[in-house]
Amino acid sequence: MKRAPTESDLRKQPDFTIFFTVLILAGFGLVMVFSASFITSLESRGDAYFFLRRQAFWVILGLMGMIATANFSYWKWRKVVSILLLFNFLLLLAIYIPGVGLEINEARRWIALGGFTLQPAEFSKIVMIIFTAAFLSKKNIKMENFWNSSFIPLAFMGATFLLILDQPDLGTGLAIAAVVGIIIFAAGLPFKQLSYLALTGIPFFIYLALNEPYRMRRIFSFLDPWADPLDTGYQIIQSLYALGPGGLFGVGLGRSRQKLYYLPEPQNDFIFAIIGEELGFLGALTIMLLFFILFWRGFKTSLMAPDAFGSLLAAGVTAMIMVQALMNIGVVTGAIPVTGITLPFISAGGSSIFFAMCAMGILMNVSRYSR
Amino acid sequence: MARDTGSNLQMRRRLLFIFFLSAVLMSALVFRLGYVQFVMAEELQLKAWEQWNRSIPTRSSRGNIYDRNEHLLAGSATVETVVAVPPQVDDPRQTARSLAPVLDMSEERIYELITQDRAAVYVKRKIEEEAAKEVRLLNLPGITFTHETKRFYPNGSLLSQLIGFVGMDQGWAGLEIYYEEMLKGRDGNIVFPTDNKGREVPGVRRYIPPKEGMDLYLTIDETIQFIVERELAKAMMEFNPERVSAIAVNPKTGEILAIASKPDFDPNNYNNYDKEYWRLFPVTDTFEPGSTFKLITLSAAIEENLYNENDHFYCSGAATVAGHTIRCWTSDRGGHGSISYLEAVLGSCNPAFMNLGDRLGAERMFEYVRAFGFGSRAGVDYPGEGTGLIFRPEQVGPLELATTSFGQGISVTPLQQVMAVAAIANGGYLLRPYLIREIKEVDGEVVEQRFPEVIRQVISKDTAARVTAIMEEVVIQGSGINAAIEGYRIAGKTGTAQKVGPGGVYLSGDYILSFVGFAPVEDPQLLLYIAVDGAKRGPQWGSQISAPISHAIMKDVLSYLEIPPTELAEDQKEILQVEVPDLKGLTVDEAGALLDTGGLLLKLVGQKGIIMDQTPKSGAEVPLQTSIIVYLDDLWSDEDPGLVYLPELKGMGVKEVGEILSHLGLRMEPEGSGIVITQEPSAGTRLRENSVVKVRFSSPLH
Repeated sequence: MKRAPTESDLRKQPDFTIFFTVLILAGFGLVMVFSASFITSLESRGDAYFFLRRQAFWVILGLMGMIATANFSYWKWRKVVSILLLFNFLLLLAIYIPGVGLEINEARRWIALGGFTLQPAEFSKIVMIIFTAAFLSKKNIKMENFWNSSFIPLAFMGATFLLILDQPDLGTGLAIAAVVGIIIFAAGLPFKQLSYLALTGIPFFIYLALNEPYRMRRIFSFLDPWADPLDTGYQIIQSLYALGPGGLFGVGLGRSRQKLYYLPEPQNDFIFAIIGEELGFLGALTIMLLFFILFWRGFKTSLMAPDAFGSLLAAGVTAMIMVQALMNIGVVTGAIPVTGITLPFISAGGSSIFFAMCAMGILMNVSRYSR
Repeated sequence: MARDTGSNLQMRRRLLFIFFLSAVLMSALVFRLGYVQFVMAEELQLKAWEQWNRSIPTRSSRGNIYDRNEHLLAGSATVETVVAVPPQVDDPRQTARSLAPVLDMSEERIYELITQDRAAVYVKRKIEEEAAKEVRLLNLPGITFTHETKRFYPNGSLLSQLIGFVGMDQGWAGLEIYYEEMLKGRDGNIVFPTDNKGREVPGVRRYIPPKEGMDLYLTIDETIQFIVERELAKAMMEFNPERVSAIAVNPKTGEILAIASKPDFDPNNYNNYDKEYWRLFPVTDTFEPGSTFKLITLSAAIEENLYNENDHFYCSGAATVAGHTIRCWTSDRGGHGSISYLEAVLGSCNPAFMNLGDRLGAERMFEYVRAFGFGSRAGVDYPGEGTGLIFRPEQVGPLELATTSFGQGISVTPLQQVMAVAAIANGGYLLRPYLIREIKEVDGEVVEQRFPEVIRQVISKDTAARVTAIMEEVVIQGSGINAAIEGYRIAGKTGTAQKVGPGGVYLSGDYILSFVGFAPVEDPQLLLYIAVDGAKRGPQWGSQISAPISHAIMKDVLSYLEIPPTELAEDQKEILQVEVPDLKGLTVDEAGALLDTGGLLLKLVGQKGIIMDQTPKSGAEVPLQTSIIVYLDDLWSDEDPGLVYLPELKGMGVKEVGEILSHLGLRMEPEGSGIVITQEPSAGTRLRENSVVKVRFSSPLH
């Protein structure tokens, strides 16, 4: 006699491909952060292992977070979504509180929390994904009715976007906007509404072009970085100077020239260039393949999810990694304008690593309920 | 659990769409990455390499310059240059403070240099050995040395204008600039990898060795050059001219054996001299040639069969052309009178040459003038060669033709004049003059070799021989007699050209006295040209000033070249004794005219007026080219016959000075040997009888 299946019966093994792919990427990141940073770190801080140690700490913390979220049934997120939203805005606003918000290099992106610094925008990414997925997967939502469906997450996203833009952190803001957009699109945004939304973007670009020509020049400098090699084109040129000499096999691990102050903060946004230089096209291609495996498993999880919330949640966290990886590699190879965005799991970071790994835990949890 | 199965299919399609889009974008980035790492790689690698590596130049050693016998004329010594490597300087303040006194530079300036954002900077270049040693002892981090070369000229001012000199990094004048590309070689580099702060990092250090400069071997003979410059320096003393110049060439090859003008400069300290004296006047500057140019008219007339030496010509002292009266230099004494053409040529009669020019006609005359190389550069390898100016065909009227035929109204460079006469000496061929025989690499490999180059044949061998014979007569019995050397057959021609002042007016009393001659006539080895420009002392006649200089030079050079004297017939030897004429009561000009072909030299004591006395006395039999000292009446005071004005003694020999001072009743207190360099009291001082005159003698060259 069959009994009705319980929740624990439905739970299966999570998708360990996701788990190991993330671990390999994070391991890769540890090696490359160390390789990229040890010389400058030794000179500026007297400690070659500074960034390695910090990265290792956050990777371990992220691993713990990932295991925790992998075991936290994903639909429970729905219940805490209001609290998450509240925290999202509280943290973003806390940046403005003197003594709590930290200003580094003229950017206020961090808040001090005990001995740590936290980057609220990284938290915002996950909150926005959970909220958008939860809201649009409600039974009574009719996507045809824009103001009662897509508009709500767009409005929350817009508020978050403006707060992040004010830090300023255009890259993260754009990534969040893109991810929210992808979830709304996946949830079934009618094409008519999609085209209207696209049209609203046009006045924004006209405004930029007319009122901030400097910003426009900066945006399009990637097309010909040598036109302004010392300012707007500098980072792209230095990034290409790393990739070009890397060739097929690279110059060898630890032997980058460009990390010797040519490429500023090589362990951060431009770490992919150092990978391309030291490990060559093959090393860089390996990273891209690992990311692609992650996309594939992520979308597979999304497609196989038992309900719309699971699908949208899985699609959201996968899209988050995808958008960041594509943007970062696009910037480093000079294919798109420079936006400050890290390469997930690999670039040196704190909050970014931790939350990205937590997001992968959520993805793994969804995969446990695959049909 | 919420399930929205209704839109499930649509969601699946959209998720698949997003996944494929991400796959497409990822693939695009793989292609982009491949494009950067493979297609753009070479270009990027090159640019990145430039960015990663810095270099310190290592200078090439400049090539040497040698004379034709491989005597060193210009060489390079290794000296040290202080270099700072700013990223390696520990304490710029302290470093600047320590260096300042040693390098004799301001502390501020050094600080500024060693804090520049560069891989390496010169702090002070080419410092003395002593200073380098001191800097080394300071042992400052980031302060190092590099070797550079410094030019030196062992002979000082000898050949200075021809060789030129080198500034801090490159030739600035003369052959040093003309052959810059070959002399300088190519700098090398030490290339080393650095970080973006300019600090050297581990990696491959590369040394690109410099390519040494090539050596030049000149056609110049240092010994001949020395003889020439010695005599020019002597002439500077004796006649106090604005400038003297000389060129010696081998008339059969076009090789320049010696070339100089004075005043000149010391290339080791070129900045202490007027730029005016940096250039080689006989190549760069032009002048009106005067009588030496008559050789061109004569050659043309003989070649065209328009000259018969036995025809008669009457010179009244002047001739009229197109309304202008042109005077012969003999006009003061009523002209040459009725003479043969040969006599007219030997006497350098202007109307006779105007007549020859008229016979030739403007077209033929200028054809020859151009064929002899006038009006176009001689093509020597020296920077800034002059072209000269001759009348263009459409400018030539009877007046222009007339003046050209005796060498006035046109301008030529001394070198053009020399090459034209060389064509007469070598049987009719105009050659291209040259200064470099060979250019060699340091290892001896010959890079370039120059050989004689015939530009064209101008006159026939026969004509050349006839003109040479007439020139030989000029030296035997004409105005060139003071250039004659016992035992040698010499051909020559004097010139006394009036200088043209501003506005094209001839300056009276300002002459260029020239002489051109070659020897031995039967096989010319040496052609010599002398020009004395604007002499302020001495008789203003080419025969009296430039011919004796030529005599002195040629005598020494012929002996140096070991050219044996020609066996002369008995009758030719007799003329070597001449009778001294009575010059008392004559003016200097009259005396000069009288002695022009007389084979005696006038030594003027005093400045102007009539000749009061002379030694040796008239009627004495003396050897050819003996100096006749004449005393002019402005030596004695009008008011007090017991007072004399001390004459200028500069440039005279000890025997002459003793003779003159004793004649004037003064006592000499000599010091040194050679020719007079200074005298005390100075010239013009009024002295009583028996006053003492201190005279210092020395060699004319320094």
